[in-house]
Amino acid sequence: MTRTSAPGVRVKDLTVVYKTPAGELPALGGVSLSLAPGTITGIVGESGSGKSTLALSLLNAVQPPGRIKEGVVEIDGLGDVVKLTGEELRRARGRQVGYVFQAAQNSLNPLKTVGKQLLDLGRSHDFDDLPALLKDARALLGRMGLDGGRVLDSYQHELSGGMRQRVGIMFALVLNAHLVVLDEPTTALDMITQAAILKIVRDVHHERGLTTLIITHDMGVAAEVTDSLAVMYGGRVVEHGPTTEVLGSPRHPYTKGLIRAIPRLSGDIDEARALPGRPPTLGTIPKQGCVFRERCPLRIAVCDTVDPEPITRDARTVACHAVGRLATPVVPKEYV
Amino acid sequence: MKTVVRRLSGHLLRGLAMIWVVTTLSFVIIRNIPGDPVRGQYEKLIEQGMSPDQAERSTAALYGFLPTGSLWDQYTDYLNGLLHGNLGQSLSTPGTGVATLIGSAAKWTILPVLGGTLLSFLLGVTLGVYAAIKRSGKLGDALAISGSLLHGIPQYVIGLLVVAVFSTLWPILPAGGPVDIDFAPGFNGPYIASLIQHATLPVLTYALASYGGWILAMKSSVATVLGDDFIMAAELRGMSRGILFRYIARNAILPLFTILALSLGLLFGGAIFIESIFNYPGLGLLLVNSIGARDYALMGGTFLVLTVAIVVANIAADLLYAVIDPRVRKGAEA
Repeated sequence: MTRTSAPGVRVKDLTVVYKTPAGELPALGGVSLSLAPGTITGIVGESGSGKSTLALSLLNAVQPPGRIKEGVVEIDGLGDVVKLTGEELRRARGRQVGYVFQAAQNSLNPLKTVGKQLLDLGRSHDFDDLPALLKDARALLGRMGLDGGRVLDSYQHELSGGMRQRVGIMFALVLNAHLVVLDEPTTALDMITQAAILKIVRDVHHERGLTTLIITHDMGVAAEVTDSLAVMYGGRVVEHGPTTEVLGSPRHPYTKGLIRAIPRLSGDIDEARALPGRPPTLGTIPKQGCVFRERCPLRIAVCDTVDPEPITRDARTVACHAVGRLATPVVPKEYV
Repeated sequence: MKTVVRRLSGHLLRGLAMIWVVTTLSFVIIRNIPGDPVRGQYEKLIEQGMSPDQAERSTAALYGFLPTGSLWDQYTDYLNGLLHGNLGQSLSTPGTGVATLIGSAAKWTILPVLGGTLLSFLLGVTLGVYAAIKRSGKLGDALAISGSLLHGIPQYVIGLLVVAVFSTLWPILPAGGPVDIDFAPGFNGPYIASLIQHATLPVLTYALASYGGWILAMKSSVATVLGDDFIMAAELRGMSRGILFRYIARNAILPLFTILALSLGLLFGGAIFIESIFNYPGLGLLLVNSIGARDYALMGGTFLVLTVAIVVANIAADLLYAVIDPRVRKGAEA
């Protein structure tokens, strides 16, 4: 058990399919992604790009009618999460991997106080020292600028959106999980609360020595807190690398398009160029070839038939035929 | 505490007003049903050659009150009686108070209907949870279909079918009456056994007829809660199955409490069809018979009991809701 240090995470060739009347459609098509121990990794992408599905896969919690068809999710200290079932899986959730929800606003049972739900959590994970758990929770909440005692005595409807979000983070951390997954932690919050939450995430990450994964569709959030950044499109990671490099000199045409679409505070709003076309849905993801080709300015013949392999070079991974060609000697990732 | 008292007194005031409105309406409607038995008796006596005075005295002696006076006078007399806890004299059973009749009918209604309601509630709620969890499986479908089917068949059809099966085709249970008259009433084995025997079919009918509603309501309620974010959140935090089940059950059963409280109030209306089919001398049968006999006082009395029961059930449901749902509790205090 690696309880005291940040775990590394290795996702390999993860394919998640959803059962629909039109057959099983892939939400994730062979995703590979590594989270280095102790880093904050961000995942950005449009709605429907598979961000949340990937996040849920880290807990082997893809909801029916979806299922993990193949692939490996290896977490240090846990092994391959995809193979965990039943009680083993339940105990890993919360204890080893903390999860903060996209809809953390509603992540509490409306009929019980926060404190009682915390006790439920403690009992579920066989904590003997429940008073210590409450003490930890109060300290964590205090750390996030809340009156811990008051919050533990409150029902969900007595807390504001920002407070609920912090309670959600507390729940993810209080069992001392060292891998924390935050799915859009600041969506639906005002800018000031958003900044406060991000600061908390960053501070707690460093204090506790966590490995953190943040899912967002907000490039600003990604730029502010993450060490490394993965860009997803159509159920694939199309680009991954250190955040400053990915944002500073994007390589994949989709990443470039995304960044060009951000309006600047200083400058003409017309300079922001929306990406032409629309992202694929489950049903419209192409069966073969590159998923981005329909909207791609660099499209070449091979894109229609072959799905580009992610190529890693200088700590940066890009999955694009056109970029691969332009680039100087490419080393397939198998040899890195 | 102060808020609870204020809330309760508000409920009581509104409840009393409601009872008064219903009492007045039912008084007016009942008095306008054609066919006045007291006037009928009075006129019959006059036809038989009595003087009006004599006829009036004789009728008054028979029914215990004078059939004269304007509708308004009768209304104020009636209300005055009610305020003194007097429901009046029955016309169809001369010399007996309405309260006595209702009291003796109530004991035949409350236990079977209460039993049937609770049985169907427990059965429907338990199976409803199951039907919701297994809603994409065959068993879940079967349960839901059984619910829709039973919910759709009218009570009296179920009653007749039950009689046909258990009293005619396969005669193991009595089809009518509340108890065998061979046994001396009291706390003795044969009498109680006979009571239970006779109550079985009415309770079964009642339970079958209302089970469908419960299972459907619970199924949709559980399905809604299962889709709530906090259930998935609890699951991803690694909450144990038992705790997860309690979270689901408590949230899902909440809306059903109101329905339960109301159906417990309706209990005092008796189960008219079921009591008619099984010749069970409960409140429903009493009401039907009182209408047939144009027994104004008894009709008014049964309506009043039903009204009071429903108003009380409503208040109870509201107060209960405040106990089990913190959102309502806080909302009221704010």
